[in-house]
Amino acid sequence: MKSTTNNKNIKAALTVATAALLGTSHSSQAQTAEEDSWQIDSAFLYYSETDRVSAGEAIINAQKTFEDEEVLNLKLTIDTLTGSSANGAVAQPTVQTFTRPSGNGQYQINENDTPLDDTFKDTRVQLNAQWTQPIAADYTLSTGGHLSKEYDYLSLGINANLAVDFDRKNSTFSAGFSFFHDTFSPEGGIPKPLSSMLIGDNNDSNWDENFSQTRLSSDDTKTTTDFLLGFTQVINRRMIMQFNYSYSMVDGYLTDPFKIVSVVNSNGITQDNIYESRPSSRAKQSLYAQSMYHFETNVLDVSYRYMWDDWDIASHTIDSRLRIPLGDLWGKESYVQPHARFYQQSAAEFYRAFIQKSDVTGIEHISADYRIGEMTAYTLGLKFGTLINGENELSFRLEYYRQTPTGGGREPIGVLNDLELYPTVDAVIGQVTYSF
Amino acid sequence: MTTKQFTISQCQDSHSINFNAMASPCEILVQSTDIGLANKLANEICTEVWRIEDKYNRYDNNSVCSKINEKAGHRVAIDEETFLLLNFAEQCYQLSEGLFDISSGCLRKVWTFDCTNNIPSEAEVNQVLKSVGWRKIQFDRQFITLAKNMEIDFGGIGKEYAVDRSILLAKQITNVPVLVNLGGDLAVTESRHNNMPWQVAIEHPDIERADKTTADMIVSLHSGALATSGDSRRYLKKDGQHYGHVLNAKTGWPISHAPRSITVVAPQCIQAGILATMALLQGKQAEQFLADQDVKYWSRR
Repeated sequence: MKSTTNNKNIKAALTVATAALLGTSHSSQAQTAEEDSWQIDSAFLYYSETDRVSAGEAIINAQKTFEDEEVLNLKLTIDTLTGSSANGAVAQPTVQTFTRPSGNGQYQINENDTPLDDTFKDTRVQLNAQWTQPIAADYTLSTGGHLSKEYDYLSLGINANLAVDFDRKNSTFSAGFSFFHDTFSPEGGIPKPLSSMLIGDNNDSNWDENFSQTRLSSDDTKTTTDFLLGFTQVINRRMIMQFNYSYSMVDGYLTDPFKIVSVVNSNGITQDNIYESRPSSRAKQSLYAQSMYHFETNVLDVSYRYMWDDWDIASHTIDSRLRIPLGDLWGKESYVQPHARFYQQSAAEFYRAFIQKSDVTGIEHISADYRIGEMTAYTLGLKFGTLINGENELSFRLEYYRQTPTGGGREPIGVLNDLELYPTVDAVIGQVTYSF
Repeated sequence: MTTKQFTISQCQDSHSINFNAMASPCEILVQSTDIGLANKLANEICTEVWRIEDKYNRYDNNSVCSKINEKAGHRVAIDEETFLLLNFAEQCYQLSEGLFDISSGCLRKVWTFDCTNNIPSEAEVNQVLKSVGWRKIQFDRQFITLAKNMEIDFGGIGKEYAVDRSILLAKQITNVPVLVNLGGDLAVTESRHNNMPWQVAIEHPDIERADKTTADMIVSLHSGALATSGDSRRYLKKDGQHYGHVLNAKTGWPISHAPRSITVVAPQCIQAGILATMALLQGKQAEQFLADQDVKYWSRR
């Protein structure tokens, strides 16, 4: 067309002509872009450990695709946590008294019970925003930000990821980076590592001063830097595989200010409880492989991860899911998905369930947090999903989780032989999700 | 003659309906495990597509199109649908400033794109050109009159029109995502479940280079339609020159320096098809034309 005045009008004129031909009253805006609508996924999760921590979590995720395959993803997560968590001290054949992290009170533990601190009630709000867009043919860039806040914790983060497709999108390489800066302001401040927990009466006039003697500062920070390299490959019509390598470096305050370690005598009787101390850096690496296989109707997803770090923790994770479509058996396009996961980790080099008084001098780092000790964990679950109104997905998930910490070859001594030093933690997880 | 039957097969969460129409392999994909729904869609859509084919197929002596052509020089009664299509063709003629002209069908008398070197002479083309020209057609809501020896051909819009009609039908029948593909011109009712796009493969036109792997392009389509103009299968080749089958209705010759094929995305298939054809008619300027129109396209040269 030589006349440039006509140019922009051709598409519009054709739109009108098409509407007249087809008898449609309007033409949709969409082309390869998504219509102006948000895809919303919502989920509510309930987690409960027997006699310990309970958590409720609500997530809303909104995603919108713009022209040229640009995607904006916004996610809001709200967690509330209540219940009690092991404070790291060992059980004793007598009643024990501990000071609350804030210093404002004590709590008592019955004989033979694993000491649990029930001070944990917190609500956390998290916001994540992610922007993804193609920057060239086969090149996709994604960047995002993260913010999370709870009463005593603030986390800010950014991330960026570049994905490159090859071979008609059958292969994808990706490289990613993320950085987080966290500030921790625990109630009661940061305790002096390895100092004794002050036990006494917090109404005493000297209490406040004595308590602050055990404190180092009111807050501290840590930074986390992660790198990820990934490779995804479509093997054939039925199978796709993914391989990842990641490197993570955490620097700063890594100690748990609420956890203590029991100092016992040769008979296993606690003499003192000292605040734990972890190194100020941790370098983690992991290798991950995942495979997804499409049978006639079922889909099997199996993955394995090996992680190791400079705290001497090494872990194996095997995770598997089998999605079994049920057709329209129980609702439209329903499916059931059993889930099984196995996890095993070795203890951090400075992990000890307890320490003998005679071994205390010269210790630089120590922690009795079972979560960095030797442990095996199993998860078994079942998920059921169905379509509502032909297009919105509703799903229910129920899982059973069992963590079994073990001693790692360390022999208990004295009275500790008759006590449970490595209690099993059982948890139930229930989740409902709805997408529209 | 098209064999009027379809086959239905199930694959994972969808059904696939395959049939032949308009000299092309056709397919309907419905993202549902309901075989009853697949059957209903198959029956209604295939019936509609074959109906349109029978009505506007210039190769079928019983079609409305053939009847109009046979009676060139005389008035022929037409129905509402034909009138709307003629109106649409009129719009395309005007918007393309005469390059798109459905009366250029009789140029096939001298141009047979049978992949040989059989190109006509200038005299032969000029002779036939006398019977070409939209302006020589008169029509209104009820009648059409072609000038003597004229012919009209709905080939440039028929398939895309059938796709759009099929989508309208599909939307009336079900809320489930459906894709209708008639020989590569396709449209979808909406995106697949969970807002996943339909992955559509576009064939590379150079299929004669069988030793090289044909590069398929994968397009993610959330909604709307996709049509391809330009055809690898129908062409002529002489003295190393490739003559695409899109003819300039004013000169009677193929458009020079046109891309091998253009694929366009638009809300409706017929719109995509016309934009693709109009682009091809621009020859060297094909891509610029589409870029100026702010239209999403892929061009292969």
